[in-house]
Amino acid sequence: MRRLYLHLPRFPVQCTVRDLPELRHAPLVLAEESRGQQRVAFASSAALKAGIRPGMGVTAARAVLPALEVRRFDSDATARGLHALGEALLVLGPAFEALPPDGLFLDASAAPLCRGPGTPEENLGERVLGLCAEWGLLGQGVVASQAFTARALARHRPVRVQCVAPDGGAAALGPLPLQVLEEAAAHRAVAGLSALGLSTLGEVASLPTASVVARLGAEGLRAQGLCRGEDPTPLHPAQPEETVEERVELETPAEQLEPLLFALKSALDRCAARLQGRGLAAVRLLLTLRLGNGAQHPVPLQLARPSAQARPWLDLFRHLLAALQLPHPVAGLAVRVAEAQAAVHPQGELGEGPRGDAPLESVLARLATALGEEALLSASPQPRHRPEAAVSPARFQPPRQPRGMISELLPAASRTSSSSAPPAAVHREETGAPLPPGWSGFEQGLGTPLPAPGWLEGLPVAEESAPEQRALSAQGERPARLLPTPLLLEVVLGGAGLPALLRVAGRMRRVLALFGPERLSGEWWEPDPLERDYYRGQLEGLGLVWLYRDGRDGRFYLHGLFD
Amino acid sequence: MEAAVQQTSNGVVERLREQIRRMQAAPRSALGRVATGLAVLDAVLPDGGFWLGQSVELQGEAATGRSSLALRVVAAATRARRLCAWVDGPRELYPPSAQGLGVALEQLLIVRPRAPGQLAWAAVQLLRSGAFAVVVLDLTHTGVRLSPVEARRLQEAAGQGGALLLTLSSKDCPADGALRLELEPWGEDGVRVEVVRSRRGGAGAAVALSWDVLCAAKVRCGPPLPSLPAVVPAPPLRAVPPGLDVSPREPPGLREGRPGRDVRLPKLAAVLGGGDPA
Repeated sequence: MRRLYLHLPRFPVQCTVRDLPELRHAPLVLAEESRGQQRVAFASSAALKAGIRPGMGVTAARAVLPALEVRRFDSDATARGLHALGEALLVLGPAFEALPPDGLFLDASAAPLCRGPGTPEENLGERVLGLCAEWGLLGQGVVASQAFTARALARHRPVRVQCVAPDGGAAALGPLPLQVLEEAAAHRAVAGLSALGLSTLGEVASLPTASVVARLGAEGLRAQGLCRGEDPTPLHPAQPEETVEERVELETPAEQLEPLLFALKSALDRCAARLQGRGLAAVRLLLTLRLGNGAQHPVPLQLARPSAQARPWLDLFRHLLAALQLPHPVAGLAVRVAEAQAAVHPQGELGEGPRGDAPLESVLARLATALGEEALLSASPQPRHRPEAAVSPARFQPPRQPRGMISELLPAASRTSSSSAPPAAVHREETGAPLPPGWSGFEQGLGTPLPAPGWLEGLPVAEESAPEQRALSAQGERPARLLPTPLLLEVVLGGAGLPALLRVAGRMRRVLALFGPERLSGEWWEPDPLERDYYRGQLEGLGLVWLYRDGRDGRFYLHGLFD
Repeated sequence: MEAAVQQTSNGVVERLREQIRRMQAAPRSALGRVATGLAVLDAVLPDGGFWLGQSVELQGEAATGRSSLALRVVAAATRARRLCAWVDGPRELYPPSAQGLGVALEQLLIVRPRAPGQLAWAAVQLLRSGAFAVVVLDLTHTGVRLSPVEARRLQEAAGQGGALLLTLSSKDCPADGALRLELEPWGEDGVRVEVVRSRRGGAGAAVALSWDVLCAAKVRCGPPLPSLPAVVPAPPLRAVPPGLDVSPREPPGLREGRPGRDVRLPKLAAVLGGGDPA
């Protein structure tokens, strides 16, 4: 089985520097308690150059370098960080095995899918290191068929990416020093081989097997097998954690937004990478701020569209945090993906912008977060005669239009959406005006306009529509504004029992012209049946309004404005 | 023979690559202007329509045709496969009317904030995103009066996102748009539209529109309209001082020319030598 070992030198130090960039060039050690004494577990390059070595006491290290920065080594956090990186690498391989504190194996069977200038396995190695660089980590990768070969070469050969042929393990391992075997827990064998004057793995590999067994027993035989590139150790795939969560502890409690956002970006990047590794996209995120007094402040984020991109998340959190007032500075934070679903990756097209739908998703999520989901809607026409029920709110999901250069080649009919096309060839029998799809109720005469009422004395009356007007859409006869609640009108009736004066907007207005009626009735089975005669009235100094007389109480109501 | 075929195909591939590179690097024709579709009105607008990246104010009372005019612009944008947004302060927009004017409803986002103070903020976000070609900010009946800072922020966001902002305002609560059209009832038959403010000239021009034309429907099922002057003669424009450049300028939102999103792509068929399929 081909596998890639990713070695991340001094991984805990790299993580610390990544989260606290002010320590990037400072001498830094991570200390752990051993036998009641603080000892150096990991040291940065600057500290190593000053002569500080792992295992040294912190007191002695400070004596060597008084300006030494000392941080606590958290082995659990290191293991979590390595596991998170492994999850992110699942976009490049089907399985991984974390080996704390500074390396992991990745199943390299997906290498043929990696395209690039080199061989597939070299391309895989470059992709892995590129992803590590996005995480702010430096490393080396070796692809081999044996676990020991890959790990030993990655740790002891300063090569960025190396691929070892299935039968080339022994030759590749040959120059390595004998101490490499100690990492394979063959301490007694190493001591015995050193006593024989051997110094490299190649020399061990060339020994007769019988003599090695005679001198060092089974452990010697195993050690020689490793040196010959024979290692039957299988890959133990790690199980992804049930929830994706990242935590960051701030060096000093943050009182300003910027340091908080910096830490948050790091956590969000890792969450997004882990989600991408699992093929998921977040629907809901929960940011928990740990305050200086120990209290916790949750900041939930509901995304309008599932996303596995950290940048829009950060924009949204920035907006939420900017409006937040906390009683104490923030000492740490945790980001948890509270809800996720399978990610959908739309296919890009030639000539399409590099960001695709990202601006739309970002602004929708921002608005949904600030205004609430219910504030964003799209209108869905309903086959109802009651005007206020003729449309219902729907989730705004614009169709994915053909984009890029190919859209120019498509015929116009396929570019336009269904609802923007002219209304279907359904005609109202009385007027011949086309009706929109789903309004077939008019065909059944439920919304039959009354005959031209010649009894509207003194007012212009409706006449048969001109042929050229018949092509006009029936929806256009509806007002652009519909009042949420019909407004009861104070009316002075004329001689025909129709309004001559209406009180609108605080004053009585003369009705200059009245057109109609259009009778809408039905829903007799409902508690509030529909029985209305609608008129379009031109009011003095106001414009065209839409009013109706309710057949149940005989009163006039203002329902809309032809704005 | 095989080598010759291989060489020829390599040459074709290389030429195609070069052609694609040129097409992607070429300046793209911009969808820079949206016409209302009313020829008589477009004729008096400074640029024959509304430039994207501009802030336009439609001022008038609640039943003077502002919404219908805005919906016509939205319909034009949706026909060009662009998304539009309507920040509905009074919560009165009636989508069937929009559909009647040709608006593709699935491309129209309606935003109804709870608090009036969120109207301008929502419009700024929509404009700045660059995802929407036209954003309508309806302040009618909301009592919101935009401060100069908010108006400037809206204008900047429109320029930044390359979107057209249409603000529906009243005389009591003006919105300080760069271009202001005032609408008022015109007798019994229609509305009068006057360009009262324009930084690109044309202020003072006015037209009268009948309701049937404005609403694209037979809202007046009555006798033919009485005599209404189709166009009110606009006052003569002042003479342009010599040396002053009055040519239309590029709208700020499209200077960057982001491919594939807010600018129209070159016609691939034309580049490849074919006819225009549309």
